[in-house]
Amino acid sequence: MAMTLTSELPAAPVVAPDVTLASLSEQVSGRVLMDRAPLWWWAGFGFSFTLFTLLVIQMAWLFVNGIGVWGVEIPVAWGLAIAEYVWWIALASGGTIVSALFFLTRSPWRSATNRIAESMLLSAAPCAGLMPIMHLGRPGLFYWLFPYSTVMGVWPQARSPLWWDFICLIYYILMSIMYYYTGILPDLATVRDLARSRFKQIFYGVLALGWRGSSEQWRNQRTVYAIMSAIMAPMVISVHSVVGLDFAGGLTPGWHDTQFPPYFFFGAVISGTAVIIMLTIVVRWGYGLQDVLTAYHFNAMAKIMLVGSVMLAYAYVWEAFGPIYGSDVAQKTEFFQRAFGFTAPAFWSEKILTVVIPQLLWLPAVRRSRTLLFLISGGIIVGMWQERFVFTTSSLEHNYMPSYWGRYYPTFWDWACLAGTIGLFLTLFFLFLRFAPIVSIAEMREVIEEERSK
Amino acid sequence: MKTLFGIIATFDTPDAVKNAAAYLRQAGFRTLEAYAPYPVEGLGEIIHPGPKPLLPLLMFAGAVFGAGWGYWIQYWDEALNYPLNVGGRPYNSWPSFIVSAFEFMLLVTIASGFFGLLAISRLPRLYHPIFEAKVFERASRDRFLICVEATDPRFDAASIRAAFEQLGAERIEEVRS
Repeated sequence: MAMTLTSELPAAPVVAPDVTLASLSEQVSGRVLMDRAPLWWWAGFGFSFTLFTLLVIQMAWLFVNGIGVWGVEIPVAWGLAIAEYVWWIALASGGTIVSALFFLTRSPWRSATNRIAESMLLSAAPCAGLMPIMHLGRPGLFYWLFPYSTVMGVWPQARSPLWWDFICLIYYILMSIMYYYTGILPDLATVRDLARSRFKQIFYGVLALGWRGSSEQWRNQRTVYAIMSAIMAPMVISVHSVVGLDFAGGLTPGWHDTQFPPYFFFGAVISGTAVIIMLTIVVRWGYGLQDVLTAYHFNAMAKIMLVGSVMLAYAYVWEAFGPIYGSDVAQKTEFFQRAFGFTAPAFWSEKILTVVIPQLLWLPAVRRSRTLLFLISGGIIVGMWQERFVFTTSSLEHNYMPSYWGRYYPTFWDWACLAGTIGLFLTLFFLFLRFAPIVSIAEMREVIEEERSK
Repeated sequence: MKTLFGIIATFDTPDAVKNAAAYLRQAGFRTLEAYAPYPVEGLGEIIHPGPKPLLPLLMFAGAVFGAGWGYWIQYWDEALNYPLNVGGRPYNSWPSFIVSAFEFMLLVTIASGFFGLLAISRLPRLYHPIFEAKVFERASRDRFLICVEATDPRFDAASIRAAFEQLGAERIEEVRS
């Protein structure tokens, strides 16, 4: 892929030719070391934090009154919160794929975008983790899921996909933190060495753990980082597949299908890349990183998104083929209700947003236009949200017994939960933006040297 | 009076620092270290020839241990400690246990790599005598540094200076701590 990209876009280098090692370090560290954050940062952070307070209020209301404040009841006991859990974990997984998989393929565009991807996933994963905890009914007891020796002698049920899910999510967050930190360590040392105020020198000095960049340290860091990447890539596929297994393991028509692990994973590829594109556009504009984040990067990520949408189209064909070709009446009924019943508007607009419109990305002109990329990416994220929503609720609405059918209507507090987690996500991302180098300086140096030696 | 830690020289290209490292190794110096803003290919092998650290092996050991431990927790829980008949499934339902054992294997592998990296690089170590060098902060930006430490049996300030000058060093500095 790297070769075709280079030959296709000779006019768009991976990094602008006038960027040097010194100017890159100063440019990226300068954004972290600024005494005053720019106005757009405060505006963005203020907006996000306001939404985040809505989440806090929502959680307080929920914990006082119980999950009846949401629209969930029998038969639809899994509503927006579970759909959004899947949605958030998919966004996070997409970040790991861009970061880990394309380190292994040595794609040059990965160096400038991987930190944005990792910051994004570390902001999205807590949002995903909150959803099931809020849904527990007795959220204070969530720690019963940990496999540890309690005085009660009660252990989690290891045969349950819901328990696998808990293990996957918590390990995923822990692994992502270690992966992120291994990569950012040299950059923190750069910030430490450029810091002028005593407080920042100590702050980043402690964070950098005394990294010196000796040949020995570099050799070890690179060895470990490569192996970690080789583990993170299959790990994220397994994590998101287990989310699919949660549903596939249930006997509800519309969920009980072996295709869902890969189906969910395809959604992760496209929606994760879409968020990264949107955030990259914002970061590039806000921090003036046009030299480092070039048309080359957007072109490459747009292609990943296109591949994701084609994979998703394949999954959608099977979503229809399975129930129609199969002999189970309930499966067939559920599918026709999903496609032509109550959820039809969301069902069809989701297909248009995630599969039909992204086909525009075949045109090089669309891949070059950042406005169109931003709109298409936003559409994909909304479409994926609809997909998770339709998938989760429509199946429960049309269970085996028609007498057991029902409807799900989200309440104000469901929407507050969605808006609030978006606030939490953006708040965390803005904090990453302010306090950690948002571009991997050490890896970009290698790209600069490579470009220079060409 | 501060003691002499070593003599440090600055180079502006990765090739120059590789050249200098190879020259110093050949001249018999052993306690030297190079500092660079990014991993220079081959530099580690020149300065530290001999067997590489066993980090990949450590991570592999972590993987084996993690898989075994992850499975054992579940087996002990579901088959030995609290056997519970769930729909007639065997107590040792290994297909169900594979998933968490797999995730646990990956977690222990990554953790052993992460903590192994810190341990083998002797981090966190917030102070190191090399930080006293005025040029050191350039090593995390755009310069390639090489330092011959005073503990080297063949250490001789004058001859090292001469060698650095001959190798085309930009700046030469004595590091005292």
